[in-house]
Amino acid sequence: MSLVRKLKPDRNITGALIPLSMLPIFGLASLFFGIHTGFITIAVLMGVYGLFFLYGFVRTGNVAQLVLCIDGIFFGYMLLVYEPTFGLSTMGTMEFKAAYITGVIFFGIVLVSLAITRRLKWRGREIFELAAEPIEEIGDGYTSRPRPVGKVEYSPQQVRSFARFCARHLIALPYTTSKNITLVPIKMGDEFGRLLGLSGDYRDATWVNFDMDGEVSVHIAHKDYLDYRESLAFDPLCSSLGQVFIEFFELYNKGEGIRVIDRMDDLKIGFFS
Amino acid sequence: MNFHTAGKYAALLSKDYAEDIFALLVNYQAISASEVAARLNLHIKTAQDFLEALEALGILSREEVLERKRPYYRYILQQTRLVIDIDLMQVKQEPSHNSLSVRIRERENAGVRFSAARNDDYITSVTIWTGAGREQEERKIKLTMPQGKFLYHLPFPKAQPMSVAEIMQKAGVDESLAPEVLDLVQLLEKYEVIESPPGG
Repeated sequence: MSLVRKLKPDRNITGALIPLSMLPIFGLASLFFGIHTGFITIAVLMGVYGLFFLYGFVRTGNVAQLVLCIDGIFFGYMLLVYEPTFGLSTMGTMEFKAAYITGVIFFGIVLVSLAITRRLKWRGREIFELAAEPIEEIGDGYTSRPRPVGKVEYSPQQVRSFARFCARHLIALPYTTSKNITLVPIKMGDEFGRLLGLSGDYRDATWVNFDMDGEVSVHIAHKDYLDYRESLAFDPLCSSLGQVFIEFFELYNKGEGIRVIDRMDDLKIGFFS
Repeated sequence: MNFHTAGKYAALLSKDYAEDIFALLVNYQAISASEVAARLNLHIKTAQDFLEALEALGILSREEVLERKRPYYRYILQQTRLVIDIDLMQVKQEPSHNSLSVRIRERENAGVRFSAARNDDYITSVTIWTGAGREQEERKIKLTMPQGKFLYHLPFPKAQPMSVAEIMQKAGVDESLAPEVLDLVQLLEKYEVIESPPGG
């Protein structure tokens, strides 16, 4: 397996920026309204962060999202009870320390394990690397038009099941209409905008569409195309992206979904990129 | 009759005073522009232009009359029935073997935006920008379903070009719909959105 990267190095810090932004908000709230308000503010933000991952879990079925949700809500609650004027006055008690330390140990181990096994990782970069792997030709030719890449024999149930698999393993986010299932691969850091609907229409993003007649078509967003180090020949790149998903579909259909995950893991892309 | 001539007829007949002038032409053996203008209370230039246009179309003839050294024309009606007859099939673009065998693909950096349908595999519209700077204008071309399917299957820039007939077949567009597809091809060639590479 070649480890020569065709994508530019990931310098996107959006993913880290959102949780980190809680710290200056805590600082500013404490500065202007006192430390008590600061704790309540960060507790509420942790709760909101947890709710976002609850939505992520509902949307994708990825259990790791549920762990993040519980983690956010747990530490949000701990911050609330830590706040001395909130009425619980538990600060410094043995019970608080016990709950806090066991929580840190439990969530610390679980989250590190989920990160190492890449179960929290959106696999957009893997998808783009796999699509670019066979493309040696340089030559641009970008167009915003979708490209039909072929016809595959499948039943609507099969493709729906595959879409759920892709969502569960964060390979792509599915959008379902009566005639199509569109899979949108998402890179780490882009999940907040995409899940919250802040990144615009999904039809403008990179997608692979499976229609109910078996036609598979592909669209690559200009932003994602520019993320490659070189101007790869666009027509074969689109075709290759379609083939990646068709192969994944066939592997999944044979009951070998784990091979799909193995192929992406073999690329050894960083946990947070 | 072609569209251009029919357009001239229609423009003349649509004038408010057209019926009144024709009434004079039918009832008078010959009449001059000044007589028409005086009779209908029109400006002489208006009457003159109208009569000259009818004469150019062959509806009237004119004869030069000399009066006190200053010549003028008297107009005589030549046709008592006006028929606007246009064969619409004259503008139908019959697909020739040549036009269907032209090999085309999208031009690189065409600078257009394609809008794809949400629920099916076809392009709904193409937005083209013409001109530059403050003169730039946006033109949105809405496509019919066969045109949209055709465009969806058009080869990408730098991809191997395909003939119009092959693309139609790939897109599942019936051969009888070739005229509207060819019309789109012509339009997009004009705006340099598609190209026929030499030897393609």
